[in-house]
Amino acid sequence: MIELKSVTKTVRSGIEDLTILSDVSLEIPEGQFVALTGASGSGKSTLLGLMAGLDAPTSGTITIDGDEITRMSEDDLAGIRSAKIGFIFQSFHLIPSLTAFENILIPMEIRGAPNAADRANELLRDVDLTDRGHHYPAELSGGEQQRVAIARAFANEPKILLADEPTGNLDSKNGRHIFDLMTDLHKRRAVTLVLVTHDHALAAEAQRQIVLRDGVVVSDESGRDAVTGMRDATRGPGDAETVRRGDTAKGDAEVVDLAT
Amino acid sequence: MRFIFNLTRREIRSSWRRLLFFFLCIALGVGSVVALRSLIQNLTRAVGTDARALMTADVDVSSTNDFTPTEIAKIESAVAESGIVDGRNETITTSSMARPSEPANPNVKLVELKGIEPPFPLVGNFTLEDGKPFDFDLLANNGAVVAKILLEDLNVKVGDKIRIGESEFQIRAVFDEEPGGTGGFRLGARVFLEKKAFDGAGITRNARVRRRILYRTTDNPTALVAKLRESLKGTTINIQSYRETQENLGEQFEKTENYLSLTGLLILVLGGVGVWNVARAFVEQKRKTVAVLKCLGAGGGRIITVYLLQLLTLGLLGSLFGVLLAQAALLLIRWRFLETLPAKMSYSINFSTIVQGVTLGVLISLLFSALPLLQVRNIKPKLLLRDENNDSIRRLDFTKWLIGAVSLLALLGLAVWQAGSILVGAFFLAGLAVTSLVLYLTALLLTTLLRRFRGVGPFALSQAVNSLYRPGNQTRIILLAVGLGAFVVLAVQSLQTNLVREFDFTKNQKLPSLFFVDIQKSQIDDLARMIESHIGEKAETIPTVRARISHVNGEPFDFAQREVRQQQGQIGREFAVTYRQDMDDNESLISGSWWNANDNNDPEVSVEEEMAGRLKITPGDSITFDISGRKITARVANIRKLDLRNTRTAFVFVFRPGALEKAPQTFAATVLKRATATDRQRLQRDILESHPNVQIFDVADLVATVQKLVSNFVLAISFVGSFVILSGILILIGSIALTKSQRIYENAILKTLGAKRPTLTAILFAEYGLLGLLSGIIGAGFATLLSFGVSRYLLHIEWEFEPRLTLGGIFVTAVIVMLVGAAASFDVLFRKPLSTLRSQ
Repeated sequence: MIELKSVTKTVRSGIEDLTILSDVSLEIPEGQFVALTGASGSGKSTLLGLMAGLDAPTSGTITIDGDEITRMSEDDLAGIRSAKIGFIFQSFHLIPSLTAFENILIPMEIRGAPNAADRANELLRDVDLTDRGHHYPAELSGGEQQRVAIARAFANEPKILLADEPTGNLDSKNGRHIFDLMTDLHKRRAVTLVLVTHDHALAAEAQRQIVLRDGVVVSDESGRDAVTGMRDATRGPGDAETVRRGDTAKGDAEVVDLAT
Repeated sequence: MRFIFNLTRREIRSSWRRLLFFFLCIALGVGSVVALRSLIQNLTRAVGTDARALMTADVDVSSTNDFTPTEIAKIESAVAESGIVDGRNETITTSSMARPSEPANPNVKLVELKGIEPPFPLVGNFTLEDGKPFDFDLLANNGAVVAKILLEDLNVKVGDKIRIGESEFQIRAVFDEEPGGTGGFRLGARVFLEKKAFDGAGITRNARVRRRILYRTTDNPTALVAKLRESLKGTTINIQSYRETQENLGEQFEKTENYLSLTGLLILVLGGVGVWNVARAFVEQKRKTVAVLKCLGAGGGRIITVYLLQLLTLGLLGSLFGVLLAQAALLLIRWRFLETLPAKMSYSINFSTIVQGVTLGVLISLLFSALPLLQVRNIKPKLLLRDENNDSIRRLDFTKWLIGAVSLLALLGLAVWQAGSILVGAFFLAGLAVTSLVLYLTALLLTTLLRRFRGVGPFALSQAVNSLYRPGNQTRIILLAVGLGAFVVLAVQSLQTNLVREFDFTKNQKLPSLFFVDIQKSQIDDLARMIESHIGEKAETIPTVRARISHVNGEPFDFAQREVRQQQGQIGREFAVTYRQDMDDNESLISGSWWNANDNNDPEVSVEEEMAGRLKITPGDSITFDISGRKITARVANIRKLDLRNTRTAFVFVFRPGALEKAPQTFAATVLKRATATDRQRLQRDILESHPNVQIFDVADLVATVQKLVSNFVLAISFVGSFVILSGILILIGSIALTKSQRIYENAILKTLGAKRPTLTAILFAEYGLLGLLSGIIGAGFATLLSFGVSRYLLHIEWEFEPRLTLGGIFVTAVIVMLVGAAASFDVLFRKPLSTLRSQ
């Protein structure tokens, strides 16, 4: 369970303070698949980063499974991430000096998990990269790199998976593949999945969609209704294309299917 | 722990190339420390380990006079009483002129004679060139065993005859290793004769003879030496035991070793600056990896441990490579200086020195990478979401200050350890800090001035100037490091030029070209006539009396005291003194007054400034001299300063006329005219034919010997200086790596905007050319200042500005930096702009 209470985040920009998130309160129950959407600069990634303890809110509290992470030290936060949270980035962020296999191994070694090598091989198989384990990130395609990142995120069997636009750097075919992998793992392992995305079609497949605008939650709905709310929230100057794509969003059936 | 070790291993596997400079910086520094320390250790072992062999005995009783029967009785009774002596011999040493008997051979040379008697040596070996041991039969009936160099000097061979004094000797053999001789500074080649042959050759009439009675003992001779000193107190007899010699030698070598090691440490500290730069660049490059690791749950402490372990491993490997470099350097030294260094010197490295070097290398790696690595703490995982520059500057970061202070203290500890003295270590560090600060401030000033010229001149030049101010630029650090190297090398070169000029007697007209000593009164007129007919100059003759100080203010020197004994060479030696009515042009009074002709007849003496300080005397005190066994007590009339640059002769003691005229005396004569080598040789030959006892110093020969010494010394320092430059260049290359990604990006943009490769190449060369030019200016500027200061105020020699050296130094530095910089960045020119811009 992830719980945010009155979370506000401001940063200093030049001489003035810029509010990125304003009084956000949320509860995400265990095992839920949440899509976090909104225009660029709406605060999605910041919100996700705060949930992972990658940054601290200016005010408000965040608790994970009852532990308040807001006041934790850097090292304690690292411990929480190691034990409970998997993170996937838009630009993969694999360690370039390590092979695919070693990238998957790292979180388990940090945690001191037993049989790490066996599990890393198993994860490579899960993401269909068995024969690419000895390759360095630079030798892999974008889709392959993101699959390694997913395997890495699942290495310690986290209860929470946070994904920041994981398909944003991929073509639609690869994007779909990655999305399917994540949702499949979400279903099989019953993890909480929070997905930041611009892709309304993908968002529509979530059990719950939260829409942010200028750091404020403007819509928080489950299932089919959410699409409409999202359409209103994201409408703004320059967002016409997004809205049009939102209009043609499909997959309602899948959303229903997942929700049941 | 598994995570730490595994990641360290994997990171080394992937980043070793990037850390190659780290490795090289440490290797170079450790190599310098180990090479310098080993060199001096091996030299010590070859020269000074066995003071007994140096002395060829355990106890040395020596005098410049004949031992009187009373003295001999005292010595023998003390020796008999001790009951530890199991061997005794006597030697006589002096210098004299040698010339081939063959009249067609015009050579003449000063030689150092040693008359020996069996058993010789009491301690040590005496082997001949063919490997056979020395045999006394070789010396029988006017035989001579000589140093090899004499054969070259006189152009003679074994079997030929040479004339020394009034006798003729046949060269019977050449020795390989001389007992008690280890290649130290010597005016002439060593020639061994039979002791009794000295008298026959009339050589003992020479005033500068030293007679020694040597003893070999079966036990510690300290008590015997004390007893001898006690019973011979008040005489001019000098008593030494090998233990005291060993003690003094050991101390001198240890000091030299420690000072040289400090030079090594300087290079290592410069290497440390390189390490610091590389570590900074490394952390900068690893920002994302660190953020990912933190995101995956690794704590800052563990990540720092991984990188520290990685750098320490490389530091260790670098140190070991440094030991290999040191070995290579020693072999290089053997190849280059074989002739100058002792024959038996070893060129290997001591195990303890290796341990010391490696420890230093690892510690320097730790000290200089600790602060940059602390940056890892400030890298936040959130940069993966939004790559903002999150290196928030925490001005009062306690940990940073703490680590900084600990590093500084540790560095001080290393300096103290290497110098073997807290004071010297602290001075070293303070000196380094001040020098660096001054150089850094100069670099700051120059770059600030240059900034005004931004946008001036052709496009390539103005771009190059701009590049020096690129964010995160290392301009000032490079100027500091390369400038320091240029400074050391150029300062030494400039000093050498000035020193050599000072000794260049063709330019210094006040220095005599020929110097005659030991002229008897009866020989003066004839000699003056010969000089005038050969060279056309009326020689100046000066009476000289040989004297030793026996008492100061009625007290004899107490050589049982260590600090008095340490000055023994300076105050206990025999002095050539003279007497005259007037002060010379090159002299000036410090205190007291010069004598008048009408003063009373009590003996008075004028004392040279430094000697007065050594004896702690002022005008009005008294000094008692021993002149051939007779004591003369003279009142110190004044203290006098000598201008050594404008002098024909330099007398420490000058007497008022009246006291010494009756004492046994010889005369010295000097010739100023620069005659040709042939004329000088012919004059020497003719004088020796009729006056074989006269000794002639050809100043040109002496100057050549001194110049050789100076140039070897300069070569050695330049060698060390070039290591400093090399460290500077490594720092340069390291800093290029640091800003390379920016350069690649800039080049990509310039290419996109239409800049062609020649333009980009011109910018590259202009940038590093400028950097080298500034470094050269800094180095040459301070080198000129240092050379001026040392010449004027320390060596008291004339100083001249050397425009060729200065401009040449600046030019060479600029070219080196330009070539190295361009070579290290050249690949940037060939990157395709699209891929670069895409990856940004």
